[in-house]
Amino acid sequence: MTDSPSPERSIEQAIQTVFPSLIPDYPSGTALARYRTDTHQLPELVRFLHEKMRGRLALLFAVDCRPLEKKCELQYLFAFKSRQPFVLVTTELIGEERLFTSITPSIHAAQWYEREIRDLFGLIPQGHPDLRRLVRHEHWPKGTHPLQKDFSWNHVLERQQGEYRFSHIEGEGVFEVPVGPIHAGIIEPGHFRFSVAGEPIMQLEVRHFWKHRGVEKLFEQLPLIDAVLLAERVSGDTTIGHSLAYCQAVETLLHLDVPRRAKYLRSLFLELERLYNHLGDIGAMCNDTAYALAHAHCGRMKEQVMQLNDRLVGSRFLRGVMQVGGVSWDVDRSQLRNIVQELNGIQKDFSEVGAIIFANASLTDRLETTGVLTERIAWDHAVTGVVGRASGMDQDVRRDRPFAAYDELPVNVALYRYGDARARLRVRGDEIHESIRLIREIQARIPDGPIAIKPDRSASPGTWAVAAVEGWRGEILYFVSAGDDGMIHRCKVRDPSFVNWPAIQWAVLGNIIPDFPLINKSFNLSYAGNDL
Amino acid sequence: MFRIIKKSLKTGVVTGQYPESERPSEPINPAVTEKAKPFRRSLAIREVDTGSCNACEMEMNALLNPVYDAERFGIHIVASPRHADALVVTGPVTVNMERALKDVHRQTPDPKIVIALGDCAINCGIFKGSYAVTGPVERHIPVDVRIPGCPPRPAEILEALSELRKERP
Ligand code: SF4
Repeated sequence: MTDSPSPERSIEQAIQTVFPSLIPDYPSGTALARYRTDTHQLPELVRFLHEKMRGRLALLFAVDCRPLEKKCELQYLFAFKSRQPFVLVTTELIGEERLFTSITPSIHAAQWYEREIRDLFGLIPQGHPDLRRLVRHEHWPKGTHPLQKDFSWNHVLERQQGEYRFSHIEGEGVFEVPVGPIHAGIIEPGHFRFSVAGEPIMQLEVRHFWKHRGVEKLFEQLPLIDAVLLAERVSGDTTIGHSLAYCQAVETLLHLDVPRRAKYLRSLFLELERLYNHLGDIGAMCNDTAYALAHAHCGRMKEQVMQLNDRLVGSRFLRGVMQVGGVSWDVDRSQLRNIVQELNGIQKDFSEVGAIIFANASLTDRLETTGVLTERIAWDHAVTGVVGRASGMDQDVRRDRPFAAYDELPVNVALYRYGDARARLRVRGDEIHESIRLIREIQARIPDGPIAIKPDRSASPGTWAVAAVEGWRGEILYFVSAGDDGMIHRCKVRDPSFVNWPAIQWAVLGNIIPDFPLINKSFNLSYAGNDL
Repeated sequence: MFRIIKKSLKTGVVTGQYPESERPSEPINPAVTEKAKPFRRSLAIREVDTGSCNACEMEMNALLNPVYDAERFGIHIVASPRHADALVVTGPVTVNMERALKDVHRQTPDPKIVIALGDCAINCGIFKGSYAVTGPVERHIPVDVRIPGCPPRPAEILEALSELRKERP
């Protein structure tokens, strides 16, 4: 909490003092101040927001405004301390203009975003230190920019020859270890290129986007109301997180007031999702230190929660429960009682397993000081979620921008400072207890009433909204703008993995390759949510 | 140590504590069952994700937890396609993964069985038609077994695998 009387005013006042010519506008429904600026003033303004005001670059994306207007917009979303509104900075490139000034030299977190914009829109960030392709692999033909409006969604790509140049370290005794895209375990595809001298890792380059499925383009083919199905499948393990963020954005667009009961149920489902994933992650981390017993116990508890989900709504991943305007499944009193009863059992069970895990010296030895992500680097990369909280970044959307029922359900945020694998394990452990506590609160407080409201109007073309949700990995952001006939014009999806992946390249430095699987698991990022 | 043993005793055996699959698995071509004969007691699987949403992977992973414990049927996951008898492929085949899938298939020794797991692998599901998706798995490599669902439950996967090997779990 800040102690200044009205923090909302303070950022805007500060901007007003330094940039008197900028007048904000306030789109309805979202706690957000929007500034339009030209491409010349932009770098100065974003640097001011980032360095002076300690704004975190939460999202950077482009919108091709055709057919409404022949221009592209670049949008920079900044998040500030708890309970202060977002600041969205918009600048536009009119007509055929393709060049914009890169902000990566001053804001490191912009790096992947700008490369992504270049690949998907063909806009070129001038001054960007690394203009290699990111999403489009080398065999994509030149000049294909799928998110341009005149690129058809079902275009068939040809294959061309090309080479991706990894960055090399040279010197005596330095060699490279390529890993992937297909890995040894049951995990998603991604490529890691290690440069090592002896044992310690000197450099890691992560090369992703093998799973790029064109999700954002597919959104543009769907009506606002129906795209929940696709949002559920952006990253399967975050079904609720993504579908909820999407629904919230659309509800803001349509000015829907979601009934309170639905909000409580949304929180319930979100916490159940957090629970099964955290339980699984703790087990998987133990497994990577060869501690099979803890893995088995955690896997068993995760399975228990997933079976509970299945009994509740007929889907182990809670699919099909979110809808625009509310939820599509009610959970009655006796079911709620059963949930709480079962979770109380799991909590006790987990405490016992936790006591065993943390008493194990060899496990602690493997986890402590492994894969340290310092607060400084976490901040530079605008890292979010579990990984951020393990490195001292005190942020949680549930507390900072309450959504669903969290305005009435205060959340205790788990926070650790060491930034090592153990801290990430501890954050997850604390959050398991906190989720179960929240679900008990939900059971005690949930009001009666309807669980959904029917959308009764349509969004006018060109209107847009931003929504944020704290999924189990971290902050999920959606930007949705409306097109003609109730269709989606643009949907920008930002899974927390997208910002956390680059940070892993720093966390591994100085560690040995055999510890990489453990470090990777302690981050446990989504490839699907990153690659889109 | 005492604490660990106590916990294990208290937990007991959880294997098999799951609802039986309600969905009958797809009939399997007799030629495929014939091909699977040598793998009746032991099936080494390599999992390949070519663009799934990762829920299908998660259910594959669930097969290895103590509740399903697929190892008791001789099913195990191997680290290299060269050790595999069967490939389980999940997800639509993306433009960026097409090459990798073909490579993996080539490196798997014959006889081999290809299992398309989930709606996406069978018909691209919700991602059908996208510029970044080249088509379902069978467009690139021959598919022997299909396990539909989005995602299929672990019990359904087990059911299909035992159907393939004509052994009831
Ligand atoms: S079939 Fe369903 S669960 Fe499996 S990858 Fe496709 S969308 Fe995900």
